[in-house]
Amino acid sequence: MTDLEAYRTQAAAWCESMVPTFGKAARKWLSVEEDLALGRRYQKAKFDAGYAGINWPTDLGGQGLGHIEKITFEGEEMKHGFPNVYFGISLGMPVPVLMQFGSDREFVKERVLKALKGEEIWCQLFSEPSGGTDLAGLRTRAETDGNGWKINGQKVWTSWAQYSDYGVIVVRTDPTVAKHKGLTYFWVDMKAPGVTVRPIKLAGGDSHVNEVFFDDVKVSDDHRMSPVGGGFAVAIATLMIERYVATDSAGFGPHLDLFVELAKEVRLNGRPAIEDGRIRQQIARNHAMRAGLDSINRRARLMMQAGMTPGPEGSLNKLVAVRSRQKLSELALDLQGTDAFAFDEHASPKDDWASSWINAPTGRIAGGSDETLLNTIAERILGLPQDHRPDKGVPFNQIPA
Amino acid sequence: MSILYDEGQQAIATESRRALEARVNKDELLPLLQTSGQYHDGFWTTAKEQGWTALALPEAYGGLDLGLVELGLIAHQAGRSLSGAPFLTSSFGAAKAIELYGSDEQRARWLPGLASGETIGAIAFVSGPDALPAVPPVTSKAGQVAGTAPGVSGGLFADVAIVFAQEGGTPALAIVDLAGIERKAVDSFDNSRCIADLLFAGAPGEALVTGDAARAAALHILALQAVVTAHEQTGGAEALMEIARDYALTRKAFGQPIGAFQSIKHRIAELYGLVELARANAIHAAAREGQNDFIPAAAAARLSATEAYDTAARDCVQIHGGIGVTWEIGLHLHMRRARTLALEQGSSFFWEDILVDRLAGAHA
Repeated sequence: MTDLEAYRTQAAAWCESMVPTFGKAARKWLSVEEDLALGRRYQKAKFDAGYAGINWPTDLGGQGLGHIEKITFEGEEMKHGFPNVYFGISLGMPVPVLMQFGSDREFVKERVLKALKGEEIWCQLFSEPSGGTDLAGLRTRAETDGNGWKINGQKVWTSWAQYSDYGVIVVRTDPTVAKHKGLTYFWVDMKAPGVTVRPIKLAGGDSHVNEVFFDDVKVSDDHRMSPVGGGFAVAIATLMIERYVATDSAGFGPHLDLFVELAKEVRLNGRPAIEDGRIRQQIARNHAMRAGLDSINRRARLMMQAGMTPGPEGSLNKLVAVRSRQKLSELALDLQGTDAFAFDEHASPKDDWASSWINAPTGRIAGGSDETLLNTIAERILGLPQDHRPDKGVPFNQIPA
Repeated sequence: MSILYDEGQQAIATESRRALEARVNKDELLPLLQTSGQYHDGFWTTAKEQGWTALALPEAYGGLDLGLVELGLIAHQAGRSLSGAPFLTSSFGAAKAIELYGSDEQRARWLPGLASGETIGAIAFVSGPDALPAVPPVTSKAGQVAGTAPGVSGGLFADVAIVFAQEGGTPALAIVDLAGIERKAVDSFDNSRCIADLLFAGAPGEALVTGDAARAAALHILALQAVVTAHEQTGGAEALMEIARDYALTRKAFGQPIGAFQSIKHRIAELYGLVELARANAIHAAAREGQNDFIPAAAAARLSATEAYDTAARDCVQIHGGIGVTWEIGLHLHMRRARTLALEQGSSFFWEDILVDRLAGAHA
């Protein structure tokens, strides 16, 4: 057995041992607040067992291992539906960027430890009503205020802001220069006066995203994590941190064997649906697509193990998997006919077709829309030209609103 | 077998690409479309000289003892350059059938020639839409075969064929010496495939496998060939994606390269996705030879490769506009080949059924 296989076996056993306390059954009837509290206990258990900050430096409380160990653990962890979703963004981007760019090292160390133990949560305040994909088009501004800064404006789609203690934020500090040259990166205290968080209820019924308003929120200059006007580079660095994450060829929806089971149970025209050519074709096509992603991901893991950089084809995961999950979920509802009407808002998108279907659009938009991902593939991998951008090089305050 | 290519395997890819790009070009392939019964001699000579015919055959019979992974790498490059003949795949299939199911005598008689490329092999399983027909059109009886095997790729030049036949109401896999056999050339949309109907009238045929085992053996040979073909299809799709990308970078309209329009760049990015999924499935399937999940892996490879090549052919022509449909530019060579390869070794319908039967547990 290789070291990595031994690591996986151990991780799998640990995850298995957590199921009675933190698994799906234990979470079933909990309110969001109760679930979050359980999640904090789970995060602490991970920390105590050495599964928090797996690839982070040991002097900041991490385990000092590699990406490969991290995604190996995540691959095991995701099988069980543990309450870890509240910490995904926090530990995925804001806290790593704090580790990298935070100037007060004592402060950084304290925050990192509390975040790893689930005691504190960080959010990422990037998107705005006027700029999601077009990040550099953001309008929230920071003006000098004595020795510090004063922030005014609005952020949106901020995951878990309602439970967050801190956030990282990109704001405009100079509207007279081209749009991404006038941005600066800060961290903010989410409990500071002038910060208002308002949850947004999504189509599927849950409210993990928020609007966040800033009214004369004062931050001192030691909150600044980039040079003044150098915020865009740190924002991009933030988005690059999570390049190696565990992926799911089912697009975080139900696995194909659940569809096959359904097709064996349901009868169509008096015969099991699994004998229907239309259904068979969809099963075969989806299997081939998912098997392709699985193979891409297996190859990426082998390359990491061999100390190589995985190829750019890993960028296909979200694009391909979520899109097909959406269609397969529609088809699964078709298969059930009117039996599909009964709807449980709290069911998991990973094993309930209606929940998977109604939440699928979020997956195709959040974290880079399908269209943005296609642009990225075309431009970064294939070398095709950027789109025409009329605002290129134009001072921000002269771009037509 | 790992799905990461080692240095030796990477060298096979580089060297075969160099050899093929030097020897095969569209100006030589185009005239072959309009003649029946000719293949690209430079391609086949290269294949023999480079030892590709011997690659995946046993050392004892003049082979190089490498496997599906290495042959797949060659096939990928052949797909990029367009194979000038179908024999690399058809001879491999025939040789594997003889290696796996033949007697020592049959191996000694046929494998050295197949390995050197002096002997050409063919597979005659398919009948129209049926990759493995319930009632094969060829019958085998007392060491003789009769009936017509239709649409056999490479059939015009093959010296030996592996035939899926029926013998007393049960399936049989037979080896048939094609010397003196009557062949009817099929004038096809892809003539360098040298497709022929083989007309057997009491030709000597020795059964390799009979009964249900014959069907399983035939499926295994089809799957081996399907994995080789999946690599070839992926190579073709990759070449088309690159041709489309290069054209979109140079052709201008409305004052900018057409690749700056999202309708074009997204189409090409989608091709990238199809090519990478096909490549990943093909590599995985090649590495699963000899494992119990080989058949479904081959089926998945086959399905995604067919989708990738057909889509790339469709979209590459579309991105070119008017010039794309001209004879001279030769994109139709890929269009034709994409369809040919989609039909050889069983259509997508066949492989979908093979896959779903296994996923649904009908063959567990």
